[in-house]
Amino acid sequence: MLIKVHSISTVGLRSIGVEVEVNIMNRGMPYFDIVGLPNKSIDESKHRVKTGMLNSGIDFPSDRITINLAPADVPKEGSLYDLPIATGIICAFSGFDVPANSLFFGEVSLDGSIRHTHGAFLLSLYAREHHFTNLFVPKECVNEAAGISGLTIYPVENLKQLYWHLKGTVLIEPFTQGKLVEPDYTYDYDMNQIIGQEKAKRALELAASGGHNLLMEGPPGSGKTLLAKAFNSILPRLSEEEALEVTKVYSAAGFIPPGGTLIMKRPFRSPHHTISYAGMVGGGSIPRPGEISLSHRGVLFMDEFPEFPRIVLEALRQPMEDGVVTISRSLGAYSFPSRFMLLASSNPCPCGFFGYEPARCKCTPKQIALYKKKISGPILDRIDLFVRVPAVDVKELSSSREVLAKLKDSRAIRTLVTRARQIQEQRFESDAIFVNAEMTNVHITKYCELAPPVELLLKKAVTKHNLSARSYFKLIKIARTIADLENSTDIGLGHMAEAIQYRTLG
Amino acid sequence: MIHVLTKEDALYPKLLKQAPRAPSKLFYKGTLDTPLFESCLGVVGSRRMTSYGKQAVKELVGTVAAAGITIVSGFMYGIDATAHKVCIDSGGRTIAVMPCGIDYIHPENQTELYASILNHSGLVLSEYEGTLKPQMWMYPSRNRIVAGLCQAILVVEASVNSGSLITASFAKRFSRQIFVVPGSIFSENSLGVYQLFEEGAKLVISPSDILDFYQFSRLPQRRNFTQLALGVTEENGLEGEILSYLRREPMSLDELSRVMKMGFGKLSSLLTVLCLEEKVLEDNGKYYVN
Repeated sequence: MLIKVHSISTVGLRSIGVEVEVNIMNRGMPYFDIVGLPNKSIDESKHRVKTGMLNSGIDFPSDRITINLAPADVPKEGSLYDLPIATGIICAFSGFDVPANSLFFGEVSLDGSIRHTHGAFLLSLYAREHHFTNLFVPKECVNEAAGISGLTIYPVENLKQLYWHLKGTVLIEPFTQGKLVEPDYTYDYDMNQIIGQEKAKRALELAASGGHNLLMEGPPGSGKTLLAKAFNSILPRLSEEEALEVTKVYSAAGFIPPGGTLIMKRPFRSPHHTISYAGMVGGGSIPRPGEISLSHRGVLFMDEFPEFPRIVLEALRQPMEDGVVTISRSLGAYSFPSRFMLLASSNPCPCGFFGYEPARCKCTPKQIALYKKKISGPILDRIDLFVRVPAVDVKELSSSREVLAKLKDSRAIRTLVTRARQIQEQRFESDAIFVNAEMTNVHITKYCELAPPVELLLKKAVTKHNLSARSYFKLIKIARTIADLENSTDIGLGHMAEAIQYRTLG
Repeated sequence: MIHVLTKEDALYPKLLKQAPRAPSKLFYKGTLDTPLFESCLGVVGSRRMTSYGKQAVKELVGTVAAAGITIVSGFMYGIDATAHKVCIDSGGRTIAVMPCGIDYIHPENQTELYASILNHSGLVLSEYEGTLKPQMWMYPSRNRIVAGLCQAILVVEASVNSGSLITASFAKRFSRQIFVVPGSIFSENSLGVYQLFEEGAKLVISPSDILDFYQFSRLPQRRNFTQLALGVTEENGLEGEILSYLRREPMSLDELSRVMKMGFGKLSSLLTVLCLEEKVLEDNGKYYVN
């Protein structure tokens, strides 16, 4: 008897439907095999399903069982086919009907319980697009699958429960949306915990508002990492659309923990500088998203920027420009989104003190030049804001009431940032961009008209500081962001003058 | 073109010839004439120059060089290189005494400065031929030539046991005048300077202190002090306030915004404008009055 159960296969971020065909023949020697380009983990499914069923007290047929994962020419991986296979075998053997319009997904344990399996969110997305209404998923994946509304989701705890449900005696109670856990909006660090560093904080505020990439330079222990960690707390919350995009990537990467749901917090990734090329960009024979995609719509913080291998740094160029990274394999090209903000920090020299505590610096000018050269021009071109973070005497400042009273907390800054983002959203309604940092020269001429004195100021600065044409446009973008933060339609003299503060470090 | 100068040559610097252990042969590149050696000031100091040191060199060497005094230094990075640079920028002539062979540029990353010295009728000197690389012992030996060439030397920043003190001890042996620039008591770079002062070096706080010694008639005013007196009445409003704070002490934007109790955005705009008007200079995140 031939039974068909529906599931999916995810390659990169693309999901395709997979029909799990189960055929049981009571002719010849007992036999159990899976065809349709399964990988090792699917092949081992045989043992899990068989043992799981037997341990649950469900009869396992001693006939010839053939399973085909169609389409048979697409390679498949993962343990998610255990549940569809078990369902198929139960239905074929016991003569139950497979529930209509249903997708099955989940790994079976040897004791018959259903384990957490990654990618449930992609299953829901596929279900919505292809008009499947019912999902059978492991109980721990329910929150993740419920990220898409309008689906009936059956949390399956074990095979026994599934058996009774298929038989129709005891039905599994579908998951109701009400149980979805509230997203966590608390942050570990707040801007008001950082004393001093007003310029750096202001630069972060600008970066958050206009989506500008930022490079912080300073000696060790000056607070660059702390600033970066607090950065997330001033970013506007993810919109629903953005949350779906982010959750999709995280689901594909298997980064949603059991019980996890839609990702509502902006991603903040801080890979160590020993990261490999594949870890940064994404990789594997069937590629998984790398750090740049995991920071999609969020922040990629690269501490000790010049210490990253050159190949990793250069790999950032295309994704930073296009907002998408394409990985080509023999089986095809896979695209992952990568619209992230780069937050980088670096020391001024190998020992870290050059220019800040000259007497402590032990580096020769040659070493310093080599160190600076590690970050290539094209990468620096893609960074708008540059700021120095000198060490501050925290003890002295933290005892000053006046200083403490003036500290703005993250919530206040976030309100301003969110408003600036809304202004940009309205401005770019008819353009395919979202924030000021993404403006091309065409947008700049359209939206950033400079009054003659403002332009004169900018030109003066360009001549004095010997800035490139690209820096010229960067400064206009930053001035636009400063004006937006002040809710001003025109770029004023003050805005431009402040923007010039964040030009390249000399 | 490389030339050789022997002790018997008429062009051989007279002052150096009188010094004990003067090199019998000098290799040189660039422009050689008698006026170049007439009034020479050696400028030496730390490789690990602070922003303060840089400001001091700009203020003192700039004026002295513009008045026509040749600036002699060792072409090392830090104070040396800054002295050469400032001298050229103020239209003066400069001599770089190399610790290595005449055909070798050390440190290698200063080729631009090297070319600039030669292009501005300056001179590059060495007692070694060819592309000999510098060894540890060659630096003190080079310092003896710097001291020998000059009537006086100016020590800007020097820690204890530094090469600058070696130059100073040669200068003392050759009975040359030693000038020192005072520094912060908290800076390691002041310890050597303090030692020299204890031993009788003369303190310099304005270019005229040096020009007096050379009996140059053109006495520029003590800029900083006159400005200090005039400043407040001259510039009024916020600009004046900023300048008066910066005259007391160079500060970063953060510090300034704290002491002035002023919003950050407004202050940074003002400073940008002051920088563009060249009333204020920025170096490594700190602002100085120009």
